[in-house]
Amino acid sequence: MLMMKRRAGESILIGDDIEIHLAHIGRTRVKIGISAPRNIPVVAKEVKLVRDQNRAAASSHLAGTLARLVARVVPNKVQGRTPAADERQ
Amino acid sequence: MATSETKYWGLLDYTEDSVIDFPAGIPGFEQEQQFILVEQQALDPLVFLQSLATPALCFLALHVRVVCPDYKFRMSEEDLEVLGIPGTRQPPIGPDLACLTLIHIEEKDITANLLAPIVIHVPARRGMQAILAGTDYSHQHRIDLVEAPVCV
Repeated sequence: MLMMKRRAGESILIGDDIEIHLAHIGRTRVKIGISAPRNIPVVAKEVKLVRDQNRAAASSHLAGTLARLVARVVPNKVQGRTPAADERQ
Repeated sequence: MATSETKYWGLLDYTEDSVIDFPAGIPGFEQEQQFILVEQQALDPLVFLQSLATPALCFLALHVRVVCPDYKFRMSEEDLEVLGIPGTRQPPIGPDLACLTLIHIEEKDITANLLAPIVIHVPARRGMQAILAGTDYSHQHRIDLVEAPVCV
């Protein structure tokens, strides 16, 4: 990983089209301005981690026994319920 | 009473007040803005988060304290606003604030996303996925389910 030292107000260029501007440096946080072409998505790293994880979770398959159990146990009885309804029981 | 097609249970009856709005969806599923929670004693502690818009979409979740008894988190003011919680005071996890962790299952590996809990403000029936940047919680926290968590 390339490390660079920069001060507040200075910028870094990545290629010709991407500029990273260090707008403000606080005690624990840095405010960064990013200019990039529209077709380049810019997100916080955690957002991408969570998005990918959600997509993977959505295609999780319940293991055989559990899947059968879910399908078998639940019909007739299940209601969508809020946690509040649950607490009251 | 309304009815919706679901991933695991075919047509499922639910009451309107059990619908939870996710005004921003969740990352990767921004257009999914309404879910119902399906819980059942026999399947405790599993919780299913079934999308109303997409029958094939049903997340598997656990109450976060089942996975991590001393789980602590702090939401930003913007997050509290999305949930319709007035002021800057975050209520504790409890009857008014449900906190779930989404589960990912792959073969024998089960992980819970502790980095981004599903937080539901129960009185407002509003939910969101909070991303706890800057914490040590993992988006792939490995968990071990005890053999046969479901007893019939």
